[in-house]
Amino acid sequence: MIPWWALIGGVAVVAAIGSYPYYGTSTYILALLGKFLCYGIFALSIDLIWGFTGILSLGQAVYFGTSAYFVALSLKINYAIEHPTRYGGTIPDFMEWNGLTELPGFMEPLMSTPFAVVLALVVPTLMALLFGVITFKRHIYGVYCAVITLAESLILQEFIIEYQAYTGGFNGITDYSNALAWSFFGESEVRGDDFLWFMLGITVVCVVTARLITHSRIGTVLKSIRDNDVRAEFMGYNAANYRIFVFCVSAFMAALAGAMYASWVGLISFLDTGPVFSIEAVIWTAVGGRGTVIGPIIGAFFVRGAEFFLSGVLADYWQLIMGGLFIFVVLVMRDGIVGTIANWIRWYRKATLAQMIEETDRRAHDRQLDWQPEGTRKAGEDPV
Amino acid sequence: MANLLEVTGLTTKVAGFTILNSLDFSLEENELRTVLGPNGAGKTTLIAMITGQYKPTAGKIYFAGEDITRMAPDKIFLRGIGRKFQVPNLYETLSVFDNVLVSLQADRKVLRALFRKVTAEDADRVCDILEFIGLADKANDPADTLSHGERQWLELGMLVASNPRLLLLDEPTTGMTEEGKRQTADLIQKIAQKHTVLLVEHDMHIVRRIAKKVTVLHQGRCLAEGPLQEVVENDMVRQIYLGKGHFR
Repeated sequence: MIPWWALIGGVAVVAAIGSYPYYGTSTYILALLGKFLCYGIFALSIDLIWGFTGILSLGQAVYFGTSAYFVALSLKINYAIEHPTRYGGTIPDFMEWNGLTELPGFMEPLMSTPFAVVLALVVPTLMALLFGVITFKRHIYGVYCAVITLAESLILQEFIIEYQAYTGGFNGITDYSNALAWSFFGESEVRGDDFLWFMLGITVVCVVTARLITHSRIGTVLKSIRDNDVRAEFMGYNAANYRIFVFCVSAFMAALAGAMYASWVGLISFLDTGPVFSIEAVIWTAVGGRGTVIGPIIGAFFVRGAEFFLSGVLADYWQLIMGGLFIFVVLVMRDGIVGTIANWIRWYRKATLAQMIEETDRRAHDRQLDWQPEGTRKAGEDPV
Repeated sequence: MANLLEVTGLTTKVAGFTILNSLDFSLEENELRTVLGPNGAGKTTLIAMITGQYKPTAGKIYFAGEDITRMAPDKIFLRGIGRKFQVPNLYETLSVFDNVLVSLQADRKVLRALFRKVTAEDADRVCDILEFIGLADKANDPADTLSHGERQWLELGMLVASNPRLLLLDEPTTGMTEEGKRQTADLIQKIAQKHTVLLVEHDMHIVRRIAKKVTVLHQGRCLAEGPLQEVVENDMVRQIYLGKGHFR
């Protein structure tokens, strides 16, 4: 199962983040921690499809952003109702600026935040299902699939900018951060730390789920589809169905991250649905270690953390340094941070290979001695 | 007794070039059939057609009485036909053990795989197969670290694990040493005791060692068919394939 040192490490990290509200002094860092958790889950969703199944999606932010917009719109609508403008208007400000006089009919269901959260999780998953059925069933993988996801992301971005009366367009949705999604749980006022613990809990659930999926039988099948889908197909595995399954799980996870992000940050714009954000998450996954479960989260924390830190300290050169970091990772640490560390450990263990061989031989010999023929199978009969 | 595999009038045209020309071919249950022929005769294409990789222009393929001409490859596999590729197709980053494990005969559906656990019987069967093909000591090595001959054996092991009724082996001894080829020939003979095997081969020493009934293809048609000794003495076969020298 999960090795003991990973369990202890995980508990330590969760405790360190969760107790920040008590020992920490900066609300800025508190805000960052929450954001990074969302980024981590988002990167994990990309790793599920990319690192384990070999599907590179350059538009994963479509699911993140759609979910974020559902939640943000709902919170904004409720905020506007509770805080009317001095002219008595109770609809979101961007709607007023665009000439709307009342809430559009199709947006009325969003007045209920719990319903909006449900939509935020279900709609992206259905979008992913549709995408999967259209592309994977037609055997469109690899580069072509990546380009289609990129196009999808650009289209959504343009759509949001275009329909600014309904989405806030270029400016995005702002100024709703005082009424957090905690109303989902029936409380109207919430301190930052409560929601941080909620997000931490969701992160742990996502990590555990990802680990269960990838280390189960289905994880091995996904990896075999990644490595050689021709062989897998000729071995009876319907690669399209497996790809659709993992793509939907990944979209759900991204939607989860987006919904939490919208509630925590208080500002959503078209940038959160676009290709730039999607590709950034792919980079976090690559830097952290793709094909691992905690790699993407570590990558998100590390890269984003480095960006925030460096942009404060070396305002003129931080982008140069980030670029240098990416080149370094591609050239030297191809398996990312976690992957490289795992390689070192494996390399160290190989030094004791002779011991291992002896041990395996001894165990095989013992098995042969203990083995009893069962049923119709005779000793020494071929397994054919 | 009805034939297990029945191919009638199979024709494939690609870009105006006819690869298979109204080919008639059949296999009986539990038979070991060797298919010979010069390059371009259509041997690999025949296997590709049977497994559903390409669809023919004309003709039909029946397996156990069922028409599989236009079926998808994964469905054809589930009917009981396993294919070994000319160049071994493995799961490169997975270990040898995992390669065989994933190929074990089991339900292939997504939700089943989600909840299926690796049982002790599964692990035992994988170990037995690894010992059968001689890769037991490399069980935890990634597949891309194996030598070429070992890769061929691994793919053979994966096929054995999936327990098909019919095995289509496309030149399984390519690139092996003499000793390796002999070992492979023995493995194939053992497999053929319980399964139907269609073997495509070029190495006449191996063919001589294990072949019983032989089919020679030429330009997409069946040139000669019969016991090995007869076919080898056939004049046309000698002219086109074996050469004019004496074959010992």
